[in-house]
Amino acid sequence: MQTLSEDDKRFLERKALAARKNVLRLITAGGAGHVGGALSIIDTITALYFKVMRVDPQNPQDPNRDRFILSAGHKCLAIYSVLAEAGFFQKDLLDTYGQINSKLPGHPDMHKIPGVESNTGALGHGLSIGVGMALGLAMDKRADGPKVYVAMGDGELAEGSNWEAAAAASHHKLDNLMVFADRNGLQISGDTVDVMSYEPLEDRWAAFGWSVRTIDGHDMHTIVETITSMPFEKGKPSCVILNTIKAKGLSFAEGKASYHYWKATPEELEMARKDLAAIEERLAQ
Amino acid sequence: MTDLRDPRKTFGEALVAVGEKNDRVVALSADSSSGSGMSPFHDRFPERHFEFGIMEQGIAGISAGMASTGKIPFFVAIAPFVTSRPFEMVRNDMGYMRQNVKVVGRCGGMTYADLGPTHQSLEDVAIVRTIPGFTVVNPGCPIEIVKATHAITDHVGPVYMRLGGPKMPVLFDEDYDFQLGKGVTMQDGKDVTLVGTGTVLSKAHAAAAILEKKGISVRLINIHTIKPLDKELLIKAARETKAIVTVEEHYIAGGLGSAIAEVLVEVCPVRMKMIGVDDQFASNGPYEELLGLYGLQAEQIAETVEAFLA
Ligand SMILES: Cc1ncc(C[n+]2csc(CCOP(=O)(O)OP(=O)(O)O)c2C)c(N)n1
Ligand SMILES: [Mg+2]
Repeated sequence: MQTLSEDDKRFLERKALAARKNVLRLITAGGAGHVGGALSIIDTITALYFKVMRVDPQNPQDPNRDRFILSAGHKCLAIYSVLAEAGFFQKDLLDTYGQINSKLPGHPDMHKIPGVESNTGALGHGLSIGVGMALGLAMDKRADGPKVYVAMGDGELAEGSNWEAAAAASHHKLDNLMVFADRNGLQISGDTVDVMSYEPLEDRWAAFGWSVRTIDGHDMHTIVETITSMPFEKGKPSCVILNTIKAKGLSFAEGKASYHYWKATPEELEMARKDLAAIEERLAQ
Repeated sequence: MTDLRDPRKTFGEALVAVGEKNDRVVALSADSSSGSGMSPFHDRFPERHFEFGIMEQGIAGISAGMASTGKIPFFVAIAPFVTSRPFEMVRNDMGYMRQNVKVVGRCGGMTYADLGPTHQSLEDVAIVRTIPGFTVVNPGCPIEIVKATHAITDHVGPVYMRLGGPKMPVLFDEDYDFQLGKGVTMQDGKDVTLVGTGTVLSKAHAAAAILEKKGISVRLINIHTIKPLDKELLIKAARETKAIVTVEEHYIAGGLGSAIAEVLVEVCPVRMKMIGVDDQFASNGPYEELLGLYGLQAEQIAETVEAFLA
């Protein structure tokens, strides 16, 4: 387990802010995007790439790298923003979002930019792919072998294929695998518990043989401590349920289902810039 | 006496052979490993065989994930359950992600003659060949199954290989030169080209012999790789014989005949007749009789060709 110093925590918060600014840059370029779910998971992805994962932007295909799969591919603004911030590609690319043949489609494509590990967008695929990666990497029996992280939406959990993968992960004792269930409480049609409830998530994942912890998905201290405690139990895959706020950081959009996909007006973009400037001021103190 | 061999046993032995050659080969199964001929692989390489139970969608994604770490996964089960059931995972996780997975559908076509349409697979070739980058292989004799298993292991990229269930006659010698994507002219002729594939290649072969006896000169072509298709060979045959008849244990919609027509209609349109199952769920009963219901027995094929040429 890694405990963050106050300086480290501040560093990660600044990186998360920079990533949120990149999200805004993408939206400004493309005019629209799945902003809500991107901003609920972005703190965790920032912590992964800047503190936890063994990855090298100069050598993105290193066989010994850790893998991150964004199963909920519509949250791609988050991964694009963090990868750009981490130096996997030039930030200019962010300005091509929405353009013909952009290397940043509305769901990620591993063959278009470095750092993306899987082509997601059809919900309910990422965990199976992650199980396969974890299994393949575990076969090589390297000491300190690579780890696999999979981020999923709470609405996404209704896809049955996830639960096939969840069962396979515990059956094959994949303790090099971690899932993040982004419990922002919302999906397209409203509250996840009303649309199709899989609550209590903790009990369901535990029943599938996973070791489960629930944390505040916007607190860098807890995020890093929790992820670096992997595996929570030897011989079991680890599940982190992230209590989050959809569209976190944009005051006018937070917690609103209508900002799942945001067609940004100029006024809203201005509000968003002000919101992020306010965060910046707070972090400068 | 015809040398008949079990396609699943043949495949299973070939899988062990490629496993010996290449330690990156792994096998994944869905509660059907022994029926898929995988017991010898399991016995030889227990640590490289993974059982998941009945979760074909999960296994499709898992195979892709394993491939991304450098393994060469063989995902083997009953044909409809590795194609139509997990189609989106095959399309996205293997195709779109360009992963080096070998999907093997055994007991394809109407092998499960008695069990009915849920277990039959008459659309697998049609749906998988729509996926960019996929190779679709349909071996027509036991020797070809062995050669194809080696070839698809060496080929980098996603592959679907379709196997039958009933014993198949040996049509080729051990030293037969099998190349992915290359059709095989088994017999030259000038009146008509008969193109066969997979489980019913032997029926087309027998039909050609009947027709020859009747004085009809048949060019017999074996298309074991339906994608990528050997266009050159087929265009040449169309130009030279001016008539094409295709034979497959598959729906006419989207299968071998359809794939050939897509090419010829643009380059060299000639008269075509496609023998296969038309727009219906197939019936049930003894396998050979079921083939007869859809005109896939040798005498029926010969009659169809004769009528077509008349
Ligand atoms: C298989 C599939 N069905 C439907 C969709 C359309 N879709 C995109 S996002 C979404 C809602 C996802 O909600 P959730 O998983 O909670 O994500 P988040 O709240 O983090 O955005 C849906 C239905 C899809 N991408 N894939
Ligand atoms: Mg949600």
